[in-house]
Amino acid sequence: MKLNIEGLLVYFPYDYIYPEQYSYMLELKRTLDARGHGVLEMPSGTGKTISLLSLIVAYQKASPLEVTKLIYCSRTVPEIEKVVEELRKLMEYYSKQTGESNNFMALALSSRKNLCIHPELLHANIVVYSYHYLLDPKIADLVSKELAKKSVVVFDEAHNIDNVCIDSMSVNITRRTLDRCQGNVDTLHNAIQKIKETDAEKLKMEYRRLVEGLKEANVARETDVYLANPVLPDEILKEAVPGTIRTAEHFVGFLKRFLEYLKSRLRVHHVVQESTPQFLKDIFDKVCIDRKPLRFCSERLQSLLRTLEIADIADFSAVTLISNFATLVSTYSQGFTIIIEPFEDRTPTIANPVLHFSCMDPSIAIKPVFQRFQSVIITSGTLSPLDIYPRILDFRPVTMASFTMTLARTCLCPLIVGRGNDQVALSSKFETREDFAVIRNYGNLLLEMSAIVPDGIVAFFTSYVYMENIVASWYEQGILENIQRNKLIFIETPDAAETSMALEKYQEACENGRGAILLSVARGKVSEGIDFVHHFGRAVIMFGVPYVYTQSRILKARLEYLRDQFQIRENDFLTFDAMRHAAQCVGRVIRGKTDYGIMIFADKRYARADKRGKLPRWIQEHINDGSLNLTVDETVQLSKHFLRQMAQPFRQEDQLGLSLLTLEQLESEEMLKKISQIAHQT
Amino acid sequence: MASLSEEVLLVVKKVRQRKQDGTLYLMAERIAWGPEGKDRFSVSHLYADIRCQKISPDGKAKIQLQLVLHTGDSTTFHFSNDSTALKDREAAKELLQQLLPKFKKKANKELEEKNRMLQEDPVLFQLYKDLVVSQVISADEFWANRLGDTNHADPSLSNNKQEVGISGAFLADIRPQTDGCNGLRYNLTADIIESIFRTYPTVKQKYCENVPHNLTEKEFWTRFFQSHYFHRDRINTGTQDIFSECAKQDEKGLKSMVVQGVKNPLVDLLSLEDKTLDEGYGVCTTASTSNPNRTVKDSSNSAIIKRFNHHSAMVLAAGSIELAQSSETSSTDGNSRDSDFFQPPVKKVRLQETMEYEDLQGENRPKTVALNLKKSDRYAHGPVPLQSQHYTTSQEIINSVNNIRDEMLNYKPNLSQVLSNTTASSAIAALSSGGVLMKAATQQAINQMVPSEVQGELKHLYAAAGELLRHFWTCFPVNTPFLEEKVLKMKSNLERFQMTKLCPFQEKIQRQYLSTNLTGHLEEMLQAAYSKFHVWQTRRMLRKT
Repeated sequence: MKLNIEGLLVYFPYDYIYPEQYSYMLELKRTLDARGHGVLEMPSGTGKTISLLSLIVAYQKASPLEVTKLIYCSRTVPEIEKVVEELRKLMEYYSKQTGESNNFMALALSSRKNLCIHPELLHANIVVYSYHYLLDPKIADLVSKELAKKSVVVFDEAHNIDNVCIDSMSVNITRRTLDRCQGNVDTLHNAIQKIKETDAEKLKMEYRRLVEGLKEANVARETDVYLANPVLPDEILKEAVPGTIRTAEHFVGFLKRFLEYLKSRLRVHHVVQESTPQFLKDIFDKVCIDRKPLRFCSERLQSLLRTLEIADIADFSAVTLISNFATLVSTYSQGFTIIIEPFEDRTPTIANPVLHFSCMDPSIAIKPVFQRFQSVIITSGTLSPLDIYPRILDFRPVTMASFTMTLARTCLCPLIVGRGNDQVALSSKFETREDFAVIRNYGNLLLEMSAIVPDGIVAFFTSYVYMENIVASWYEQGILENIQRNKLIFIETPDAAETSMALEKYQEACENGRGAILLSVARGKVSEGIDFVHHFGRAVIMFGVPYVYTQSRILKARLEYLRDQFQIRENDFLTFDAMRHAAQCVGRVIRGKTDYGIMIFADKRYARADKRGKLPRWIQEHINDGSLNLTVDETVQLSKHFLRQMAQPFRQEDQLGLSLLTLEQLESEEMLKKISQIAHQT
Repeated sequence: MASLSEEVLLVVKKVRQRKQDGTLYLMAERIAWGPEGKDRFSVSHLYADIRCQKISPDGKAKIQLQLVLHTGDSTTFHFSNDSTALKDREAAKELLQQLLPKFKKKANKELEEKNRMLQEDPVLFQLYKDLVVSQVISADEFWANRLGDTNHADPSLSNNKQEVGISGAFLADIRPQTDGCNGLRYNLTADIIESIFRTYPTVKQKYCENVPHNLTEKEFWTRFFQSHYFHRDRINTGTQDIFSECAKQDEKGLKSMVVQGVKNPLVDLLSLEDKTLDEGYGVCTTASTSNPNRTVKDSSNSAIIKRFNHHSAMVLAAGSIELAQSSETSSTDGNSRDSDFFQPPVKKVRLQETMEYEDLQGENRPKTVALNLKKSDRYAHGPVPLQSQHYTTSQEIINSVNNIRDEMLNYKPNLSQVLSNTTASSAIAALSSGGVLMKAATQQAINQMVPSEVQGELKHLYAAAGELLRHFWTCFPVNTPFLEEKVLKMKSNLERFQMTKLCPFQEKIQRQYLSTNLTGHLEEMLQAAYSKFHVWQTRRMLRKT
């Protein structure tokens, strides 16, 4: 159908539309009009992607000078491929409707293998790729540097975007890294000796270039040709590479000295935590390395590798890592911390020293993106509470909206189970984690559900260790064997290949009618990337509140930083983080309006307003006061009732006019008024 | 004594039953016992009637064997020959063990089939209630030609029976029970053993290798239950255990399954992420679980998890072997084997499935499967045998069309052979509503006149009468003594039916002042049967005299 979104003609490749899609496009259009950024939460399975693509492509066609390019970032390969398929559908619709052949160029990068298409990237109207191509400075520099300023950037499934940012800026150094780095440095040294004998002129040319400095890069950045690289700070562009590391030999010597220093730092017997200025002071005191050459380390190494014409950069990953670390540590005095741990907490007898250089401020990595591109849209099915993202990513959105799912029948059934049938409070909190009564009741819940839910059930645990313990305990108590009478059991393991197999078998068992249960872990690969549509997931059970492991020093440092810099209380952040993962887990089972599923939150803490209030609105609005502190038996009764209702035939006519609209219905005055209430502005 | 053809497989003397000494006979199809000195059996059970056998535990003073029947009754034999009692009992037990499963399946299958038929067909069920439960005819008579019908009418159905899968919890069914003196008892049935063998082929292999030359059956299963293999949380430590090899092979199997990878790219977690961070980058997550120095408890936990995945996968595989085989053979889709590389892009199909919003689409067309043909000509023509065939050429078709057209042009109605005016109009009158031939139309009112409850009852009566009459009429021509007997019985059945079912119904409708005409047709049918019977009987009498 052809839509009129506040004067913009939008081709929408379907005959019907969900009201929330219309509302979503409306908000999106306003964001683009305002040339600002937006945060939009819309439930999965309501056609978010096609709404985004339809509107932005229409906008691009209508005003090609205002928006020149769409950069669509998603998380996983299947998601990226899905976007491409939807785009293809849209394009087919366009050419069918307008009769013109398609003059749009779209490009998808979905693997490192096809990374050498750089010039094409500049001409494409739409680019679809993974977050990392834009957020990871190491890759962004290669791929995305020259993307036009007048682009719209979309981060889909962006609920974890802060972690991606942090990951891309953090470095871990182990003894093995240093050993390999030593090997790299030796190779570099030999290569320099060789080239000196055969082609000394080359090295001289490099030297001259370095005297000229990085002026070129500076010119580019000032004239706004490039996306800024957060590793390469502004200041060093204005300066020449310092004399101490300008010749190749000197630089290798410098690297050696830095390496020796790091080795000495790893010879610790107790945990050390320090800030970047402290680290810089220490390195100056011990080996007389100044801040300035450190900052040029990364750039200088790239130049050397180019000069030596080294083809396989992968071999030099260790030395690249070290020099990136050097640049980062000397550039940012804030937002980072250094923690040196001599051993792992669980195995204090085995020396395995690690230097964690961890970023605590996600805004550092994403800052260039917000600065450069005129509109950045952050969207996902679960972004609640919306206001926290602008705070931790440090940007000012022009729109923030959460959309509900209009439903002709309530196809999701969130239930909070707080007690066992014996009134024992259910919780995964630390104090009762080992409590047999809780574990038994959890087992009982799963057993009872396995008897009444058809086909597939997915259960999530708060951590892998927790799941292992519970599974062992259930096995001893014979609970698992009783569950096997109803369904087959498959369990996620740390091994991705093994889990993939288990997943496939799980689907097979759901497919052939036997039914299965998948035990899985929040924050794990399954919880983030696998959808359980229709019969693959009729119920999902979240055992406990998936808090992150709070004893980690890195996390503690990050919490402190959030408190000091952003005035976000530790507990607020931890709860926010736990709830977004819980929402991700339970959201896996609802993938559309024709789908249905039970969402069981098995922990009494979910009933509290501070937890419940952080769930996405489209889940929250279906939790009523009667389902806050249920026993296992009550849960089973409610679930039975729900399943019986859902098993009734559900036809398109049932939805029409309520949660599904024709063009005429959409254009009615009354409906437009209703639609304006779908978006919940914050 | 026994019929001559019966083969006696085992004779055990000195067996007491109800405190009476006697001899136990195991025949090809039944087990029987006769008291000493008499030449008839006072106990005789068909194997098919026996549900299971139980034996007294070792060490008990009395050495006994009990047979439990499907009906719930049981018979106990006491082996009383002092010196060989145990041996006798074992011999009998072993033989029964071999014989019973053969008959059990048959009996079960029949019972299941009957059950299924009754469940699926409410009319049949009602009939069963009317005739068998109220003892008009016996169950055997009722089933006599029904089962035969289905078996003969639909042989493909019975041949093509579906393989029964394995319960996921068969191991749970052998939960040990303590026997009160520091021992454990495992209940093992033939079904469970079969499940174990199908799920764990390696165990079957071990069984074939070792039983009976190295171990007795009992020893084998004892070891099985003691092995770490059975206890999923125990780690393989002992090496002399015959099952340690099984565990290794299972692990190998699991690995090869993992290496094979998954067919559905959307569940492949390995290729999910576009790019993992390079080594050394990223925030270190919690301690890696693949740490080599894990505690014993940890690795036992992960062993449980692995075993569960393996177990479920094997159970699933055991159920789908048949399917896989049949689908393998039926892949005659016009594509030759060498065109495997031309497989449809699974991934794309799956992706399109996931992004499809069926409710947003306009018309919901039925989903069709696109043919994927590499060599379309092969599909179009197929492997046609070379033989001359009769084809109608287009010229022939055109000719015949022309012929028909000519005939139609020259058609003239033969007016001398049509009805006269008066006859035609009276025929029309008779066929119009209210006419002589349309009287039945007024009877439609019966629908409204008779309460639905009576209607239902009448329907049941019709069904029951029909069934009985069918039995009656199938006896003709009466040319065997058996049929003769049957026809007599059927006649009395019909009479009993009329007395016990039809008459009360007639009285009932009379009381409700309904037209007695309702049962007229039923009575007519019965009368027809009776008169046929009388004709037959008088004729028989005549022949006899």
